[in-house]
Amino acid sequence: MDRVPVRRKRQLAPGPATAPTDYRSALLLGSVFVIATCGLIYELIAGTLASYLLGDSVMQFSTIIGAYLFSMGIGSWLSRYLGGSLLRWFIRLEILVGLVGGFSAPLLFVLFEYVVSFRMILYALVGLTGVLVGLEIPLLMRILENRFEFKDLVSRVFTFDYIGALLASLVFPLVLVPQLGLIRTSLLCGALNVVVAGVALYRFPETRPFRRSLTGALVASLLALGVGFGYAERIQTYTEGMAFQDQVIYSKSTTYQRLVLTKNQRELRLFLNGNLQFSSLDEYRYHEALVHPAMQALPRARQVLVLGGGDGLAVRELLKYPQLQRIRLVDLDAGMTQLFQRNEMLLVLNHRALLHPKVQVINGDAYQWIRQDTSRYDCIVVDFPDPGNYSIGKLYSAAFYRALEQRLAPGGWVVVQSTSPYVARRSFWCVAHTLQAAGFTTLPYHCYVPSFGEWGFVLAGRNAHWRPDAGPLPAGLRYVTPATIRDMRFFPPDMSEVPTDINQLNNQALVRYFEDDWGPYVH
Amino acid sequence: MFSRRHFLQKTALGSAGLLLAPLAGLQSCAPGTGRSHIRGSMHGANHATGHLLRDPARLPAPTRTEIVEVLIIGGGVAGLTARRELERQGLKPEQVLLVELDEQPGGNSRAGRNEVSAYPWGAHYLPVPDVRNHALLRFLQEAGVITGFDATSGLPIYNDYHLCHDPEERLFLHGHWQSGLVPDLGVPKEEKEQIARFFQLIEDLRQARGQDGRDAFRIPVQESSRDEQFRNLDVQTFAAWLDAHSFTSPHLRWYLDYSCRDDYGAPTAQISAWAGLHYFASRKGQAHNATASDVLTWPEGNGFLVEQLRRQASAPIRPNTVAYALHDTPTGLAVDCFDVITRQTTRVAARRVIMATPLFITERLVAGLPPAAQRLLPCHRAPWAVVNLTVAGLPQGPGQPLSWDNVLYGTESVGYVSARHQSLSQSAAGPQVITYYLPLPAAAPAARRQAYQTSYDEWVRRTLAELETAHPGLTPLVQRADVWVWGHGMVAPVPGFVWGPARAAAARPWQNKLFFAHTDLSGISIFEEGFYQGLRAAQQLLAAEPD
Repeated sequence: MDRVPVRRKRQLAPGPATAPTDYRSALLLGSVFVIATCGLIYELIAGTLASYLLGDSVMQFSTIIGAYLFSMGIGSWLSRYLGGSLLRWFIRLEILVGLVGGFSAPLLFVLFEYVVSFRMILYALVGLTGVLVGLEIPLLMRILENRFEFKDLVSRVFTFDYIGALLASLVFPLVLVPQLGLIRTSLLCGALNVVVAGVALYRFPETRPFRRSLTGALVASLLALGVGFGYAERIQTYTEGMAFQDQVIYSKSTTYQRLVLTKNQRELRLFLNGNLQFSSLDEYRYHEALVHPAMQALPRARQVLVLGGGDGLAVRELLKYPQLQRIRLVDLDAGMTQLFQRNEMLLVLNHRALLHPKVQVINGDAYQWIRQDTSRYDCIVVDFPDPGNYSIGKLYSAAFYRALEQRLAPGGWVVVQSTSPYVARRSFWCVAHTLQAAGFTTLPYHCYVPSFGEWGFVLAGRNAHWRPDAGPLPAGLRYVTPATIRDMRFFPPDMSEVPTDINQLNNQALVRYFEDDWGPYVH
Repeated sequence: MFSRRHFLQKTALGSAGLLLAPLAGLQSCAPGTGRSHIRGSMHGANHATGHLLRDPARLPAPTRTEIVEVLIIGGGVAGLTARRELERQGLKPEQVLLVELDEQPGGNSRAGRNEVSAYPWGAHYLPVPDVRNHALLRFLQEAGVITGFDATSGLPIYNDYHLCHDPEERLFLHGHWQSGLVPDLGVPKEEKEQIARFFQLIEDLRQARGQDGRDAFRIPVQESSRDEQFRNLDVQTFAAWLDAHSFTSPHLRWYLDYSCRDDYGAPTAQISAWAGLHYFASRKGQAHNATASDVLTWPEGNGFLVEQLRRQASAPIRPNTVAYALHDTPTGLAVDCFDVITRQTTRVAARRVIMATPLFITERLVAGLPPAAQRLLPCHRAPWAVVNLTVAGLPQGPGQPLSWDNVLYGTESVGYVSARHQSLSQSAAGPQVITYYLPLPAAAPAARRQAYQTSYDEWVRRTLAELETAHPGLTPLVQRADVWVWGHGMVAPVPGFVWGPARAAAARPWQNKLFFAHTDLSGISIFEEGFYQGLRAAQQLLAAEPD
């Protein structure tokens, strides 16, 4: 390896075609690539974490990017004050970036629960990382300045910089977050920065004078990051446990949502994107109320369709009717149905319902699926998420119910979970009126589920006769009896029928009601 | 209690678009980079074929002859409607031939398709029609757009999948997406009062009737009142009329300019007050399950309607064929048609001809006929650029989520529509197509030439420069950009055009041999007018005894 005289600035640099990309320059340009990738990932982590923990993703991303870029600017400006052995500065800097950037995600996760002004800490950390990352490229350019003509130097350094940025932006959402999670991703990038420092320290002869002193710091940093990597799962569980009160026993991000399962001595709870889906303590009330009023009226039912309900709990109730020949469940999220087909605790809860030979699980878009389906069902159980956005609102439209009606066998019943008639009174009655507009006769009812509050359902049939005591109810029900069914049909004045628009694809009346009704509770 | 099962799709982890946004933040530090990954090309090259007409002497002489009863020249909405109507009224498919210069019919309602979606290249919606427009309702019923009629009210029931889903429109104003296109957010009180006064006036005009008993404003234009008090609105510009009525609010004037550019390709200062008011006061659609303000739309835009028109008849359509000269013969007309692919000319001997071509083409084609066959109706035409973008994501600002029609306040475009809007899928992941519309201000030949000469890269740059203001970080998410330049665009109803004597004269047949059908003859380029013109020409032809 050639030793480079310290200042060769005035020498004419060779032309671009002949510029030798020697080993040393290649190594440093490789470092640019790694540095750029890690630098962008730190920014993405901060933005993701901020929107994950604080909400309002547009705001969080926007301000994090701003603060980060501005801090990089400060770093670049500060780089002028670094003198002496630039390589030594660079190695120190990489170790520091590795530690600060690498520990940023675990630190933020842990501090979120303890610190009053979390935002201050967040922006301080973003600022510090930004300053350090901002120092890197100017410093490297100065190290490389005598190796290339200025135009080549700028061109090469920024080429690698931007390629690294692209790589980061792709692997972060596609590989790193799904495979490693935020905490491990952060620690891995930290380790990469330290490795860059190590390579520089051992590959460049002029580092000999300070090798020993920096080796210690380097090894200690790598060790710390490695230990953090090993404990990442516990950190995540610990911090989510704090956010969710109870111990988090499972968490997974699927294409559609984040599933978190928590457990305490009394109950198991499932959260979808932070919203409670069920508590094992009282979910039987909800699922018995959803299934049995319709099913007891259909003693000769053979075919049942369940839309949504990937937890298999409604299917568990349906399997209490031995006369059923097939239960078909269509749920969008394969991550959800697989969880309820594999997790032991959940299999205990849903009685292995989704593994039953009579049950067919299909992962697909319910609306498109029923338009293509040609079967007829005696009972259709509609258990979708609440109509909180325009996309889900389409699954509560008159057009959807008309399509559903095409799939209903003569004399059959549809039952629709219809949000809370107490909290979202207009939303609830809007669902009922929309079913009526689609040609159904409706029987609204409601029940009390302690962990949700008052919850509503609408039974809908076409020329079908319904009685609360038509057939025998399965043995062993804990909530639904003929008397309960009669009670559930009574609406006290604070939940009684109100006039509403019909929810159509071209007015999405329900989403607007739902926003207004739930708004005061959520914000 | 929190909202159970509130399906939050905006979680940062799920949204690739947001995750990629910071990358654009970095790229913006290095201007000029970042568009090289975008694939795509220029379309609408048919002006090269069309311009063959400028020098027909250079085209080869006919080598064969063909005989038909009726030849239709032009396969836009008017031509296709005429073809359909002739068959409905008893002509056999083999008696009719339609020739189209482009590689497929559709005219301004052409559509495209890529691996992600179908999308429009031009017109993309039809307002819920007036129930008095029986012929149009019949067509829509045959097309499955109307599924039936309500037993009590008798009103049409529209196919829910064809009515534009909610949320329909939004406007990017002061950094926020507001609901609806009429500026509201942060608009001063005095301006809001003017806006309210304008719409009250429109409501009155919607109800108004002339002394002849006809509606003041109606679609088709031909059904509107001839009463002087309304026709007089056609002699001044819309801008002058607005000034005279003290409509000075900048937000209102922007909105009205936007509306006129959207439908006519020209601002309020260029079109007549009658046309400007017609835009608002003529929509009187009624339906059992929709209102007058609802529209019908499809991923491929009005390409859907074109395809339905085409399928409802079976007479042959010959694309890539330039009709370039008409000759008078004792038995009808002889039309020389040049096939762009085989580069041969066929002389089509037709007893009668329907010219469903824009007037600047018609002028050239009838140049060899006697003076009485000439059409003396100069048209002011607006050029357009349409850009179809395939995007991996659409980073959103605050406010109403992505809607069907998305307009940016104060920009030179008229915004974009989303081809995925009518989708019933829950999955928002994966690429989608948006169609961006840019009316080009001047209509002089120089401006048209400039539009043709503008490079692909320049159109993409202009489009993204504007869209980035509302969707920062969009550029790296763009996978494809395809550009169509409509050099001759469509007719703009400048003062004196709609109610001047020349327009009525231009629509009159010549010698019961030559009939005319095009929206140029209405002065307003919308689907209903094209349909009306095609229908009228076909009915005139069938009613006329050939000489």
